[in-house]
Amino acid sequence: MKLFKFFVSKIFLRRIIPGISIILLICLSNYITFTAVRTVFSTYQGYQEIRGLNQDGNYIANLDPNSTIDFGAIELDKTTEVYNYLSSNFDYAFYVDGFMVSIPNRDDMEISLCYMNKAHYDLTQFNLSQGTGLTFDYRFDGNSEIPVLIGKGLSKTYPVGSTIDLEDPALGQEITLRVQGVLEQNAYHSNYYTLNSKSYYNYSIILPVNEEFLNHANLDLRVNGLMDIVILQTTNEKISDLRAVIQNTLGLKLNFFGQQDNNEYFNEYYFHSLKIVAVTSVILLLLITCLSVWNAMVSIRLMLKDLTINLLVGLSYSKLRKMFYSYFGILFLINLVIVFSITALNRYGCWLRKDTTFVTYGLFGLIGIDWLSLLAVVVTDIIIGVIVVECMLWRIKKVPISLGVLQ
Amino acid sequence: MKKSLFRLADIFELSVAYAFCFSLCLMFDYVKTLEMTSDILTSFFRNFLKYQTMIVILSTFLVAVFHYQFSCRKKIEVFCRILVGDTLFNITVRYSLNCLMVLGFVYLVFLATNAYLGFDLTKNLYLVLIFIVYILISARQVRKYEAL
Repeated sequence: MKLFKFFVSKIFLRRIIPGISIILLICLSNYITFTAVRTVFSTYQGYQEIRGLNQDGNYIANLDPNSTIDFGAIELDKTTEVYNYLSSNFDYAFYVDGFMVSIPNRDDMEISLCYMNKAHYDLTQFNLSQGTGLTFDYRFDGNSEIPVLIGKGLSKTYPVGSTIDLEDPALGQEITLRVQGVLEQNAYHSNYYTLNSKSYYNYSIILPVNEEFLNHANLDLRVNGLMDIVILQTTNEKISDLRAVIQNTLGLKLNFFGQQDNNEYFNEYYFHSLKIVAVTSVILLLLITCLSVWNAMVSIRLMLKDLTINLLVGLSYSKLRKMFYSYFGILFLINLVIVFSITALNRYGCWLRKDTTFVTYGLFGLIGIDWLSLLAVVVTDIIIGVIVVECMLWRIKKVPISLGVLQ
Repeated sequence: MKKSLFRLADIFELSVAYAFCFSLCLMFDYVKTLEMTSDILTSFFRNFLKYQTMIVILSTFLVAVFHYQFSCRKKIEVFCRILVGDTLFNITVRYSLNCLMVLGFVYLVFLATNAYLGFDLTKNLYLVLIFIVYILISARQVRKYEAL
């Protein structure tokens, strides 16, 4: 330990500029690894989520990007016709989120309301930390309580069994909700066609939608519901009819993608993008490794005299190797703390901005994919560390001790 | 380059260090021009683009490393040159001019690349200023080796 302290203070840190440079290079490599791995994990999570919906015979709706919509021309009665047609001919999974309301809560957050029907709820399979699952057979008569699930952030203010009174923006009237269960912390929903982007349910209320509820809902909920609707166990012909009905009745041009279309889309779009992310990251990491080796060689050039004098007076190569590994271990630890701090600050920023759909719970706000990405950073650091240290030792061994001392 | 402190390998090393910083700047500008249809790529590159200036400025530290190690390595050579009649003023001026020549050459190459790709030619000018500051600081360092 004494020898290590001496080496760090009198030899390694005496050449401070190469030292700072290696810290910056490692920091950049850590940030690249962290960002790339988190992107991959996040996309994989989204892909896993959509796999439940993307079954043979299921069709996921998506608004045609080339179509223009005139919302003003859509009438409520016409949407009723479409939903009646849907109910009598199909099973469908209905999901809409993003309706915001203000209700009292401990963190003064705006609350996101998510509406889903039984089919969607069954396919999603939420894990609950308290209470029981949703029931969809409630009567909607304006006075009864609607059973709901809430996110972890609301569980202290609204424990299981309590009621919440709010004006529902999708209904335009006061309703009473009864907390039936609390979702596990950081439960999330990925966008069907942007798999790496997700919204977290920590400050959300999940409302069960049945036919009666839908009949009372306003135009926004009904139209938004159609945009992401998933038609279950049907055929191509029936989907063509549905598309025509929606277009003729509402003027909405929706595309319905079946399992094969979706798989082709994911292969072409996501895997291609992930490949670009991976290749770019690997190239950058290789470049950084080369620069780190160059930087290490520069350090060796400058420290050669000190190192060879120590080798002359009895320092063994194995001890020197240990010291190099310890020194780089400390540098990697510093950088790991930097990446960790940046991530924690980003997560904490969501709390400060009161960004309802992005706030997360965890140690310093970090969630599973963050920890996995940090693990990947550690692995990359170990690889870069071994390459740099071995190159340094190879360079030292190449110089005869007598020549090194003379320098 | 006859009386220069620079050897061919040093010129190459310095050019690569300059080129790395300029190419990093160019790469960021290029990524900005890409019309990305993929959200994954957009969000991935956004993580770097928001720190663009900071990353590019910190990358110039590699050039600082070069100047630092170069001036340390040439300590004895500077001293010996003074012993055989060279003046410290001339050595410093030659050193600065050599660095500026390499910088000028690399900058011109990237200026041409920027012009070819249709990017703003003044975007990487701040790097030139940073590098000139490094050259001036390192030239001051060289002057310290008069008495070894």
